Amino acid sequence: MLQESRVNVLSVKQISIQKPLTEEWMTNPEIHTESFVRAIDPDFRQFISAGDARRLGKLLKRALATSLSALHEGGITNPDAIITGTGFGSVESTELFLEAMIRDGEQMLKPTWFMQSTHNTASSLIAIHTQSYGYNSTYTQKGLSFECALYDAWLQFGLDRISSALVGGHDEMTPEFAGFMRKAGHLLEGEICSEAAVSALLSTREQEGTKALCTVAGVEILDSPDAETLDHAVRSMIAGNIPDAVMTGMSGNATNDGYYHFLKKSLPEVPLLRYKHLFGVNFSSSAIAFYAAANCLGKGFIPPVLTLTGESVSCSKGILLINAVEGRHYSVILLKPLCGKL
Amino acid sequence: MAQNRSVSITGFGIVSAIGVGKQETLDSLLSNRTGIGRLKYLKTVHTEFPVGEVKLSDEEMERILGIAPGTPATRTALMGMLALHEALSDACLGRGDLLQAAFLNGTTVGGMDKSEQYYTDFIENDTRNEYIKSHDCGSCSEMTADRFGRFRYITTISTACSSAANAIALGGDMIRAGRADIVVAGGSECITKFHLNGFNSLMILDRELCRPFDATRAGLNLGEGAAYLVLESDESVRKRGVKPIALLSGYGNACDAYHQTASSPDGEGAYLAMSRALADAGLAPADIDYVNAHGTGTPNNDVSESQAMIRLFGENMPPVSSVKSMTGHTTSASGSVEAAICILALRNGFVPVNYGWTNPMDDGIVPNMELKPSCRLRNILCNAFGFGGNDSSLILTATD
Repeated sequence: MLQESRVNVLSVKQISIQKPLTEEWMTNPEIHTESFVRAIDPDFRQFISAGDARRLGKLLKRALATSLSALHEGGITNPDAIITGTGFGSVESTELFLEAMIRDGEQMLKPTWFMQSTHNTASSLIAIHTQSYGYNSTYTQKGLSFECALYDAWLQFGLDRISSALVGGHDEMTPEFAGFMRKAGHLLEGEICSEAAVSALLSTREQEGTKALCTVAGVEILDSPDAETLDHAVRSMIAGNIPDAVMTGMSGNATNDGYYHFLKKSLPEVPLLRYKHLFGVNFSSSAIAFYAAANCLGKGFIPPVLTLTGESVSCSKGILLINAVEGRHYSVILLKPLCGKL
Repeated sequence: MAQNRSVSITGFGIVSAIGVGKQETLDSLLSNRTGIGRLKYLKTVHTEFPVGEVKLSDEEMERILGIAPGTPATRTALMGMLALHEALSDACLGRGDLLQAAFLNGTTVGGMDKSEQYYTDFIENDTRNEYIKSHDCGSCSEMTADRFGRFRYITTISTACSSAANAIALGGDMIRAGRADIVVAGGSECITKFHLNGFNSLMILDRELCRPFDATRAGLNLGEGAAYLVLESDESVRKRGVKPIALLSGYGNACDAYHQTASSPDGEGAYLAMSRALADAGLAPADIDYVNAHGTGTPNNDVSESQAMIRLFGENMPPVSSVKSMTGHTTSASGSVEAAICILALRNGFVPVNYGWTNPMDDGIVPNMELKPSCRLRNILCNAFGFGGNDSSLILTATD
């Protein structure tokens, strides 16, 4: 029933623990060894007013900066849909409001902290800033929040309701919440707790004068699949065309990396990629995977910093993205190079 | 065209201040009984605000659900479990059926009721770590769903007070796109100190009983609750031999793109959401027999929503009412709590009353104040608008 229009990725931008709004990390990455690293922020004044820069929390500033930058590069001012994924939302505002309430009692609390604490603030802020009255939604499902947002966009494209979408994955972190991530088991031994903001501009049209990075060929999300279901999901997604590589969420932690062992059986010859050693772990990590894979396809090669062997891989057939959250939820996304590019 | 786009509703469950379950809810609606009163369960200094609490403590809900004492459970998840249990039984769905079904949950506070209680423990010691795990909204959805089995797909929508409405719309899309045959969609939200204080800091809570669309209205009363609808494809309805109780015939989502916490004076987002829902269902404004308004009772919302309705319906305004003066504003759950109330109205042929209304606004609609029993309703438009201008409308249609 889904229509056949090709969903192009026009641009994807990031702010993370690597240099912001650039792919410089592909050749010259920042190496982090601390257990908690905050994002490297760009100069926000190129995107927002000085007043907004003071008033808005980090997550919101980053969401605006990556979004405006992706829209600019993709040549679209008002996307038909704005859909955001965030695992925790604006934890800094949440924490400030919560701590003030506990410390000073339930009086004289700042409305700004409360306003910015709700998860949907990023999507609505982008809409207000770009005057976009279209479809607007926000998803929050732990480390799978970005894929849930992408899945909705995929449905809206398929039902022919939209021809462009800005899909984001945004999570900020505070020292307290970094501690909570570990206590709750969302972050494992050896993993770097980090922050990420990613905005991807998708469109069924190619904008004049801009060139898409790749196309989205499929999005599937599964809760508690058995081995057979998971293998079937991978096989039906690639439909017989073996991809160049599989982007995984392997982090060096044995428990986490075990969730990807099924790939040795399902796709035995395909090189596995990793990104968490460069970008750390947070609820929007999977948005970074999408960002990195899309940009590799745009450039036609996968840099050695992402491969397990330390050798670069050329890409001409596509990259499969697998995200395993707590060994329970799996997402399977296929990105393909543009036709006729080779 | 409109016919084959409709999605069947084959069951639902509801919990709110006016009742646990469909029967209690219906009885309250038919006897004009508000569930709003003085605070009983939430521990806060702000006892001056009337609230619509679900009339059960966490422990009482655990007992009803058969949850062993000491098992970590947040209030939002407990209310969600009560409503989900009723919805699944109503639609005759068992554990095996869930394996291919989706659970789409709307919530914004998630596990905040426990986080605000144990925040110091979270930081200083390791005694309440199970509630750190249930802090985020996604975990809250899993906690609710896992009680009944495993679904194929779980996600959480968090668009503030339109969360549950957007969950239902996403469910409709998944079925229309052939990505699911059975979807359980809705939302759950308990009152927390966090958002009671948040709404208070924004000065939008009324110290009296709220009066949506009344000239003297001074804000909202917070409520809490949960409701889920079971949405099903035609093929699944045939295969399982179940009977639809109503149809989800259309929905619209729009962003007001005006302000983070205020609605535009002309209600552009509300107008767009309602118009898109009508277009999606292939219906004209004249086809709508009743509008279940978002009607929070805040000065701002009720003007904005009135303007949007006047623009859409003109001289031919259908009966309109807000049930929030009975349930309180159930925030993220309001979209599904009120959709469930609309199904009760369709099935039992009545238009709910806008409890507490007396004085007409200069620039607003005049709400329905007569129960109008035994009327035939065909299409109901149900609004849910959220902070950030996340406006959504659903259209629920009677089965023949």
